[in-house]
Amino acid sequence: MKVSMNLLKQYADIPVTPAEYESRMIMTGTGVEGIEDLGEKLQNVVVGKVLTCEPHPNSDHLHVCTVDVGQPEPLQIVCGAPNVAAGQLVPVAMIGAVLPDGTIKKGKLRGVESYGMICSGPEMGVPVELYPSVGDEGILVFREDHPLGTDVREIFGLNDHVIDFEILANRPDTLCVWGVARETAAAMGTELKLPEINVQDCGEGSIGDFAKVDVLDHELCPRYTARVIKNVRVGESPAWLRQALHAAGMRSINNIVDITNFVMLETGHPMHAFDLSKVSGSHIIVRRAEPGEILRTLDGKDHTLKGGELLICDEKGPTGLAGIMGGEESEITEGTATVLFEAAAFDRTSIRLTARSLGFRTESSGRFERGVSPATVLDGLSRACQLVNLLDAGDVVPGTVDIYPNPVVHQPVTASVARINQRAGVQVSGEDMVKILKKLQFDVSLSGDSLTATAPLFRQDVEGEADLCEEVLRYAGYDLIPVTPLRGAANGGRSETMLHNDFARTILTGLGFYETMTFSFINKKKLELLKLREGDDRLNALPLRNPLGEDSAYMRTTLLCGALTTLSTNMAHGNLDVRLYELGKVFDNAHRTSENLPTERSQLCLCACGEKEDFYSLRGVVELLLNRAGVSYSIRDNDAPYFHPGRRASIVCGDKTVAEVGEIHPDVMETYELTGRAYAAVVDMEALFACAAPMGHVKPIARFPLVTRDLALVMQDAQPVGPVMEAMAQAAGKMLENISMFDVFRGIQVGLGNKSVAFSLAFRAEDHTLTDDEIQRLMNKVLKVCKEQFDAEIRS
Amino acid sequence: MGMLEDLKLLDESLEQELQQTENLSALEALRVKMLGKKGQLTALLRSMGSLSPEDRPKFGQMINERRERFTALLDEKQQKMQELAKELQLRQEKIDITEPRPLPQVGSPHPNTLVLNEVVDCFTGLGFEVVEGPEVELDHFNFELLNIPKNHPARDAQDTFYIDDNVVLRTHTSPVQARIMTTRKPPIRIICPGRVYRADEVDATHSPVFHQIEGLVIDENISMGDLKATLAAFANRLYGSDIDVRFRPSFFPFTEPSAEVDLTCVSCRGKGCRMCKNTGWIEVLGCGMVNPKVLDMCGIDSKKYSGFAFGIGLERITMLRYGIRDMRLLYEGDMRFLRQFR
Repeated sequence: MKVSMNLLKQYADIPVTPAEYESRMIMTGTGVEGIEDLGEKLQNVVVGKVLTCEPHPNSDHLHVCTVDVGQPEPLQIVCGAPNVAAGQLVPVAMIGAVLPDGTIKKGKLRGVESYGMICSGPEMGVPVELYPSVGDEGILVFREDHPLGTDVREIFGLNDHVIDFEILANRPDTLCVWGVARETAAAMGTELKLPEINVQDCGEGSIGDFAKVDVLDHELCPRYTARVIKNVRVGESPAWLRQALHAAGMRSINNIVDITNFVMLETGHPMHAFDLSKVSGSHIIVRRAEPGEILRTLDGKDHTLKGGELLICDEKGPTGLAGIMGGEESEITEGTATVLFEAAAFDRTSIRLTARSLGFRTESSGRFERGVSPATVLDGLSRACQLVNLLDAGDVVPGTVDIYPNPVVHQPVTASVARINQRAGVQVSGEDMVKILKKLQFDVSLSGDSLTATAPLFRQDVEGEADLCEEVLRYAGYDLIPVTPLRGAANGGRSETMLHNDFARTILTGLGFYETMTFSFINKKKLELLKLREGDDRLNALPLRNPLGEDSAYMRTTLLCGALTTLSTNMAHGNLDVRLYELGKVFDNAHRTSENLPTERSQLCLCACGEKEDFYSLRGVVELLLNRAGVSYSIRDNDAPYFHPGRRASIVCGDKTVAEVGEIHPDVMETYELTGRAYAAVVDMEALFACAAPMGHVKPIARFPLVTRDLALVMQDAQPVGPVMEAMAQAAGKMLENISMFDVFRGIQVGLGNKSVAFSLAFRAEDHTLTDDEIQRLMNKVLKVCKEQFDAEIRS
Repeated sequence: MGMLEDLKLLDESLEQELQQTENLSALEALRVKMLGKKGQLTALLRSMGSLSPEDRPKFGQMINERRERFTALLDEKQQKMQELAKELQLRQEKIDITEPRPLPQVGSPHPNTLVLNEVVDCFTGLGFEVVEGPEVELDHFNFELLNIPKNHPARDAQDTFYIDDNVVLRTHTSPVQARIMTTRKPPIRIICPGRVYRADEVDATHSPVFHQIEGLVIDENISMGDLKATLAAFANRLYGSDIDVRFRPSFFPFTEPSAEVDLTCVSCRGKGCRMCKNTGWIEVLGCGMVNPKVLDMCGIDSKKYSGFAFGIGLERITMLRYGIRDMRLLYEGDMRFLRQFR
């Protein structure tokens, strides 16, 4: 909210610099976004009188003038404007003056010295709204009298600062000049000088002779007030009014409309002015809309209403949306003779919902949404009438319509001085609390520790002791809050989920993986591109009711889409070797919690591409994670449709699938704009830790020697090695310390369709040195199993 | 006395041959030639039979002396030669220590994680427990219990993602606090980090998905002074002990009194710069004393207990910490960005 500092100063003195004022207001809770000096670009320009004006000896269009600027000696100034003449009052930019386009220096024009410049309106950058004759051709000639030497900023209303206040949501009462004046006076410790409101009516007739108002819905319109002005004299507003509106960023229209806007700025009460002759039956009816009712708004558009919106109607039908927008019909024009001023309070929620659904947002609707106090509505209306008196814009008809069936009453709040101090952590005496609250216009009494305070009617935010605490603290000073470290020990620490994620991060970081974070949304089309089969729970994603677009239409059911998109971004940017992971929640819509919310699961998604990557490199990473967590697992076939059908695996612990890993299917690669080969793994973090075994006690280290035997077995090429190794390990028994595969050979030497796989077995006994015989017996058992189960024989 | 001469000759020939020996095998041959079973010294010993019995002991002693001396000389020579050989080998194995090789690859946690870890370490050190909750949340916990009643503007579909009338994507992590307050008894000392959602289009400073870290303490006699001390500890841990904390009055439905918290500008350390718009302060988080209405709604006796709460935007402090100007970088996953973190 922008407010003229000069206007504000009329109601509360500001005996400090703008910067100090800003800081004081911020620290008492009235935000200030910035303070603009309106006259910053117009300095040292004063009123001067042209004493003489002679043609320039060396020019056919320049003049040499002497100008009295109120100094002992007149100045000699060369002027090029054709309209300059002796006797004029003009703006004179002195040596060193600042204008929007630069500073004025002493100069010599065609041999004649010039000690300044006589200015035109555009040269001073003065807006036409502030001073209409700045639009004139040539230099500006003041039509009214001003003392010589007067700073022209005073004439244009530019000797002012505009303060941009940032009003908190709970303080709509400060969304007006009077509101910030109240806070200013309290913050500065100066006197609050709000004008006394008194209206001079014309003494003839009564409002009932001119208009009738019926409010049919007191819930949405708790108060409606109106007055009538007759013999309206629509015209231009005086300079002070135009300047006040200009500072607030509003345009001057005419005196009647300007009054309503100014009253809104000043008192916070949105007003509306009707041309009463255009109100059918001179009858205003405030009611809810019927479903399907049509309203034509100011911009000429027809809106079909849902029903329930609060309307301002006349006897013909709806003319405007209450508190949001008036009707075109009853607008004030030059010919308007009788005006009805409306000041009312409307339900904030109703205004907000109506404004949103119709796509309107006006200054008025914004204020009603934030909350306009019904208790002070009449102040706005009366102030408008007072201004009509002041501007002589018409004759105020006696009588006021005031429909206010349930007046607001503020109940006193009782609080404890000690508890307020305890809460704020400060030590303010009860007497000082009383002083602060009185300054804020509370009705206060103190009895021992008990403080009783009633908030002024314009405040709608004071409900209890905590609110009084804030009021006291704001003015005692937030800087008073001490630093008192928390007492008492507490058993803090990371959550289990966080520790699990930390575990994975530590390992993955060491393995060269970078962590990514992608949005938790999923684009249904991209999800479908994973080729998931019908009935897959992942297709049953949770939809948002109000997404921003396709990309945020559903909650993700897998991290894979985000991973592939990130991979694609990297490929597009020429990042060829990529190892990425994300740890995050997926949302299982098919399985609901006891609160009927989707089940949220922690998932880890790994993806990699580059020359050094293959299926085994990524599978190894997953296996390592499982090993480090103490999960005993096996590798099983997998049928995930987004993986290469020949290069995909599930990693299971018992009957629980903990992870899956595979090469991305070429079709998926194509749709995600990926080239070459890429690999991904998805780990169910909850399953992983459900299968994890905490580390127990260490085993003693065996002191007897290790014996190794290498063995090459010929088997069918299609025979997976994993099960063979598992069977070998089982057959070898507990003496087997380690088994590994170190070579696979395919060639004519081992027969077509066969492969030779070389294993290394290491044996050790805990209690003796193994003999050759023992080893041979174990190896024979291994060979027998290989032959019987897999038709695998020792390579000859 | 031919044997004495023989001995002398042997002395001379050993010295001469030792000098000429250039490798270990020649040295070994010399050792055999001199000291071996068929060596020259042994031969002399055998020829002692021709001596008179009185000369024999004296002569035998001379031969034994030589055996010891020769052995020592040969050993010495051998050791020298071995050392030389080792030195030579080491010299030959010299490599170019500046030749480039690919480095082992390590990755990094996300910048948000790095900063979150610092924040969490700070608060767990103060005895806070990390608590998490659902991201798809009931209106009851996200709004109702936090003093944001039906039809409050904060509930607008413009700001909040809705699943249905009763379910939203949580707009802050405060619902986790509400869940804890309704299920635990004070003292409560928790922080709730996590993802939150607002219906904002993506740009350099906005994102529909971002992270918050909210804190809550409830106990007897908790005051704003405790809150200030807690946040000062956080600011000093993250940004340095010269950082000051300033509270400014503010408003949040959840707290009363409320404060906006400014820290000494981390860029200019309070002198004034572009980042702090020459004020020397940067706005970092919001906080306040838990509104007694909220405590009562959650079943905690507001006459007996008071508490404070604060909320930190993780992205905001991550961006401050690393000088990141565009929030989108945090979610794109470009390796050129991620590789810079350590």
